[in-house]
This record gives sequence, C-alpha cells and structure tokens, in this order.
Amino acid sequence: MKFLVEKLSKCAPRLGILKELHGQPNTTLQTPLVMLHTQGGQVPHITHEVMKLVSKNLHILQIPLVSVYNFKEAMDYFDGAISEFIGDGESICCLTLQDPSNLTQQGFHSKGKVPIWTKNGKVYYDSRTYMDTVQSFKPDMYHLLSDGDTNLSSPQKRLTKAVDNTISFHKECLEIHRNSKNLKNCLVIAPVAGGYSIPHRKNCLDNILLDDQEVGGYLIDGLHNNGPEVEFIPFVEIQPIVEFIIKNVPPSKLRAIQGCWNPLIIIKLVKLGVDVFDTSYCRVLTERSAAMTFPIDITEDITPYEINLRQLRYIDDFQPILNGCQCPACLKYSRGYIHHLLSVQELLGPILIMIHNIHHFLRFFEKIRDCVAKDTLDELESRMEIHFQRYQQEILLPQKEPVVNDNIY
Amino acid sequence: MTASIKPLNFTICAECKTSKARVGKMELPHGVVDTPVFMPVGTQGTLKGILPEQLEKLDLQIMLANTYHLGSKPGVDVLKKAGGLHKFMNWNKNLLTDSGGFQMVSLLKLAEITEAGVKFESLNEQKSEVMLTPEHSIEIQNAIGADIIMQLDDVVKTTNPDKERIEVSVHRTTRWLDRCLKAHNRQHDQSLFPIVQGTLYEDLREVSAKDLIQREVNGYAIGGLSGGESKDDFWKMVFLSAKLLPKNKPRYLMGVGFAIDLVVCCALGVDMFDCVFPTRTARFGCGLIRSGQLNLRSSKYKKDFKPIDEDCDCSTCQNYTRAYLHCIVTNIPVACHLLTIHNVSFQLRLMKDIRNSVSENTFPEFVADFMLKNYPKKDYPNWIKESLAKVNISLHQ
Repeated sequence: MKFLVEKLSKCAPRLGILKELHGQPNTTLQTPLVMLHTQGGQVPHITHEVMKLVSKNLHILQIPLVSVYNFKEAMDYFDGAISEFIGDGESICCLTLQDPSNLTQQGFHSKGKVPIWTKNGKVYYDSRTYMDTVQSFKPDMYHLLSDGDTNLSSPQKRLTKAVDNTISFHKECLEIHRNSKNLKNCLVIAPVAGGYSIPHRKNCLDNILLDDQEVGGYLIDGLHNNGPEVEFIPFVEIQPIVEFIIKNVPPSKLRAIQGCWNPLIIIKLVKLGVDVFDTSYCRVLTERSAAMTFPIDITEDITPYEINLRQLRYIDDFQPILNGCQCPACLKYSRGYIHHLLSVQELLGPILIMIHNIHHFLRFFEKIRDCVAKDTLDELESRMEIHFQRYQQEILLPQKEPVVNDNIY
Repeated sequence: MTASIKPLNFTICAECKTSKARVGKMELPHGVVDTPVFMPVGTQGTLKGILPEQLEKLDLQIMLANTYHLGSKPGVDVLKKAGGLHKFMNWNKNLLTDSGGFQMVSLLKLAEITEAGVKFESLNEQKSEVMLTPEHSIEIQNAIGADIIMQLDDVVKTTNPDKERIEVSVHRTTRWLDRCLKAHNRQHDQSLFPIVQGTLYEDLREVSAKDLIQREVNGYAIGGLSGGESKDDFWKMVFLSAKLLPKNKPRYLMGVGFAIDLVVCCALGVDMFDCVFPTRTARFGCGLIRSGQLNLRSSKYKKDFKPIDEDCDCSTCQNYTRAYLHCIVTNIPVACHLLTIHNVSFQLRLMKDIRNSVSENTFPEFVADFMLKNYPKKDYPNWIKESLAKVNISLHQ
C-alpha cells in the first residue's frame, strides 16, 4: 500500500490517494477519507451484506483490537488475513488499539504495557504480544502500539510516561515489523503521543521521526479518551497540537486522527491537512436514536442538524428520515416505522438509523473531497458552523420534547 | 363471487402416493405461496434484525405478525394512517396475523375468559381492564391488513385435563368464529381462518372440525397443540384434525417449527406452519443444521473454519466460518442477524426439499433419509415410527 499526495503542503487541505491496495495497482482510495469503524469486524448494527446495500465502494475497515482481541486464538490457525476471517475479504483492514466510540477507562498503567478494556475485563499488551497479534491478523495497515491515555487535564508526569512508553513501543514494534514476512506490504501508522503539551509532543516526534522511512503515516494520538464526549471538544483546544504535529511530520506521509469528531471539527481538521478519520460518530448518534439530517449541498433544504426518532412527534410521521436521501433506509422506511421499532426495542430500529447515518457521513466526506478540489471548503465550513451552533444551542435547552417511554410493557 | 377475486386460491399440484403429504400453491393478494410452507414470526412488524429486502432475497413468501403486540404498539390508529402493516414495514409479500387471544392467555396471568371475550388487565400505566372480543380482534386485524387472519379462539392449555372446560371452549370457539365472520369487513382481500380446538380429546376435535367446516372460509388452522403435550398425543391429534378438514383447502398447524415435527406433519397432510423457534434460537447463538443444531457459543468451534452448514447457500454460510461466529456470538447484535438469516434460510430450504421430493414422488425416501440423519443409530422415538407408519412411511432399519 502506498500513499501519494497531490501537493506537499503543510497545514492546508489536500487531496491524496492510497494505492496498490491488496497489491493491486489499480485499486485506489481518495483522501481525505473516513474509515468504517467496526466492532467485532462489523460496522455496529450492520452486517457486511447490509453495508454493501449502503455503499458498493471499497472501504477501509477500522478494526479496534479491543473488540477483536479474542480472535487471536482462531487467527493463529486461520489460513488468511483478518479481512477474510471477518467475512469481507475485499475490504482493507486497519488494526487500531482502542475503540473510538467507547470511553476508554483511564489509568491502570504498568511499565511497558498498555491496558485495553474488553468485554471480559482488562487485558494488557506489550510490544511483543501486540505484534504477535498484528502478525497473526495480517491487516493491510495498523497502528503501532502507543500510550494515548492523555487528555486536556493530564498532569506532566502522565504526559512524560505516555511519551516514554510510546517511544519504546514504537522502537520495539518496528524491530519486530522489520523481521516479519507477514507484514512486508503492510502500511505502518506511528502514533504521536504527548497530550496537550508541545514539549512532550516534540520529544515524541524527535524520537519517532528517526524511523520515518519505515512509517507510512502518523496518528495524532493522545487528545482524548474516546467516546461520545469527543463530539464537544472545542477546536481551539486541539488546534495548536494538531498544527504542531502536522508542521513537523514529513508532508508526504498520511495523517490520521481517531474519534467521534463532529462534522464541523472534521472540516477544520481537513483544513489543517488531516487525511484519515473514522465513522465512530455515526455509532454515537445511532445509540442515542439520532439520525443525521444536516444539509450537505447548498442546494438542499435547510433541515435540522439531527432528529431524534424516539420523540413522540414522529409516531405517525410517514416521511423518510431525510427527504431526497437515497440511502436504503430513506428510500423505503418512514420515521414513524423507525419510531415504532425503537419504542418496542426491535433490532431493526438502530439498523435503519445506522444505515442512514453511515450513508450521510460518506456523502459528507465526498463533499469534503469535492470542496478541497474546488477550493470551496471555507463555504462548507461556514454553512456547517451555522448548523452546528444552532444544534449546540438546542441541546443546552431543557428537554421539552416528550420521547417514547421504554417501560409500557 | 368468482374464483378469481377470492383472496385465497389453493391448488394442489402434487400428492405423495404413499403418505398424506401434498404440494400446493396458495395464491394470495401479495403473491403466491408454495405449500407446505414455514412462516417465520415477525412479532412487532419486523423479523429480528433483518431487512425485508433480505427476506425477499431468501425467497420468503409469507411471514407472521402478532395482533396483540401490534394492537398495543403502534396501535390501530397509526396502522390505519400508515395504510396497513405491509406499507408500514415495507413488506410487499404476504402476511398472516394471529388473533391475539393466545398472547393474552400465555403472556398475561390475569386473563379471564367469558362468553363476551378475553378480559385482561392492561400492562399500561392505567392498569385498566381491557376486553378483547372477537369483534375487536377482527377490527385490529382488518387495520393491520394481513392476507390471512385468524379467528379469536377460546384457548385452553393443552395439558388441562378438564374435559368439560374443553367442551365449552370448542363450542365457544365456533360461536366466536361466527361473530368474527360477521365483524370481518375485508372479505375481498383477507381470508379468515377458523381454528380447530379440542386439545387432546378426539371426540371434541371431531365436533369442532365438523362445526367449523360448515362455514364458508378459505382455509383452516389446527390449534390447541404444541403446548407441552406428549408427542404421542400431538401427532395423533394432527393426523385426526388434518383428516377431518376438507382436502381442497390449506391446513395450518399453529406453533410448530422444529425440523422433525415439520417433516412428520407434512407427511400427515399439513400445509402451513409457524414458530418463533428458528429466530429465537438464533438469538441464543444456535445455528440450525439438518441433523439438529450447533450451539456456536461452545468452545469446540474455536478453530472450526467450516460454514454452519456446507450445503447452505445463505449469505452467512457463504461468508462466515463457525470460528468467526463463535468469536462474536452474544457479543455484538450483528451475530444475531447473521444467525437469523441462516436459520430462516434453513427452514425455507427444508420446506423446499420437502416440496420437491413430494413433486418427484420421492418423499418417503426423503423422510427416511432425514430421520436417519437425526438418529444415526436408528434409535427412532416411538412417536416418529408410529406416526409415519400411520401414513405408510417406513424408516431405514
């Protein structure tokens, strides 16, 4: 897998392509792109079969280790890569550590090890056990092991440890990578740790940039502990750190960031030159029964930012989630039906919302690429600014709107 | 009324020369249904995590929905505004609804049955007393708009030995049928099926069936079984009820869905079945195969890279291994979707194989081979031997 950018710019929006995917020279993906966030190898609520009804295009699946750590035993005996094991051999798989849609529990550090919180409790990974898993999964790309357990309020001591750990994981993992036949064509993403401190970020970069030749891209790690709260992190907080990292990594390399960032922040990050995001935001909305309805094109009607389908007003509303939307959920199902499914806790409710949210988010990224190409990203940003601000004001109001009660039965 | 505008036209296409099994075509307002048919249950207007598009791809021709649930939520008003359940749930094939009476009796401890109907305490906040009458059941079913609807019947627990009570239920069921037929105002596009009652008493079954077949209806259901009775009693009642019902109309055995029961009851002359079992067992992590079921939670599938069923062409068996399903089963909801797809597809394929073997006149061999797969040591249970012997099918010895 190779990454090529159009312009070697710093802190500016840019288009690029990922090519030679699966070793095939003609298969390419355009950046800025959004990876499909998965759990257990599937987009939450959506099987691969249903996902293909939503989009026939090739996608990168983001596979958080925390949701697939128990696959290792089978993978050791399985004759194939993780993409085949999870039942979607055509997809490109990117193995990551934590699940961006779930809040990662902080603390429980141990020297040379990182904890992940699985369904069955805490599991520690060191460079050797982590790379064992990577070699057995044979992903198309992966993050090196890192200590990203930092946020705005992390004390100096934690930042120093996070950076020290990340540097030694980086060296140890690359050493194993170098000697691995399985990972020869695998793209390495190196996480940059250090929370909100420029000196710590600098220290981390100074050390890991020494191995730049072996690295395909950099992950801006350590900004948050994942989960729904990321949606409301103000851009001004992250901006200096993101800018600093982007200025200091070679412009020919992929720049990735994880987490459920809202669409406005995503546009701002694209403007700084970030290339790779994920769809964990779609899951966060779906779990609160919300469907994305913000307008993407200037020609579209002004619609609310999102609608919550649990609200009783949708009980006999037979319109689609979003008029004009071409997703399989909007083409055939109504708000009223989805409201019914949610109120009786049927599995199909979140499936239909997720189908729409993923479709909408993929369209949003198409629009971003289009705007970068036409140099109109500023317009998209100012429109999104209005929608998102209105939405933020609305959620600050006390909830007046009745929602369906779960406990009628 | 001419035959062409009847909401149900049943044609027998082939009959087994040995047993009572038959293959038919049931033409309904939302397309043809090939019988014998298994109908999966989509209780609340959805089949557990599966899109109707996916069900159509599986070639599902009819599914069941529950009147009691849909009458409570979303309720008759919403269903009417939506233009019926087909439109509401985006299902353009056929639907069948039950009467709601069975749920009252099985779900609600406080149900009391009187001549007027089934009285129960509603579970909503008001805890009000609600009465489900035959007229009300039909009103809801007319609003739902299923292609086949059921009469409200007086359900007595199959294991209740009180013959007097059962006799009352038999006669009351007939009286309620007449009230249902009178209340039914969509005769042109919904077929109302009566339900043969009488639990395990042959004489009462006979009374029930003989009363019911005098009414002008398009098909019949066999009720009051699959409620914990012994298999020896079960098959005899199915055999008797099927025999008492007219040959030219479909016979629907309610609540039966285990593969072995389906095979035996097809041999006894039943045309339609429904059961929550395939979809429920999927949620518990079980995949159906011809010789039983796999509990994919078991660690013995950890390194098993075969599909659930190598002969199955469903998308789950095409794309996923037992080892993968073992890893995700009960962990993520998608695992349940994958198993449900397989289990529904399994039931449909079993019914298709039954139909093909009847059409090709190889049904007795099919039954014998099927039973051998399930009992490789040939230790067939007595009820299977006896019931099949009754319709002249002998097993591999």
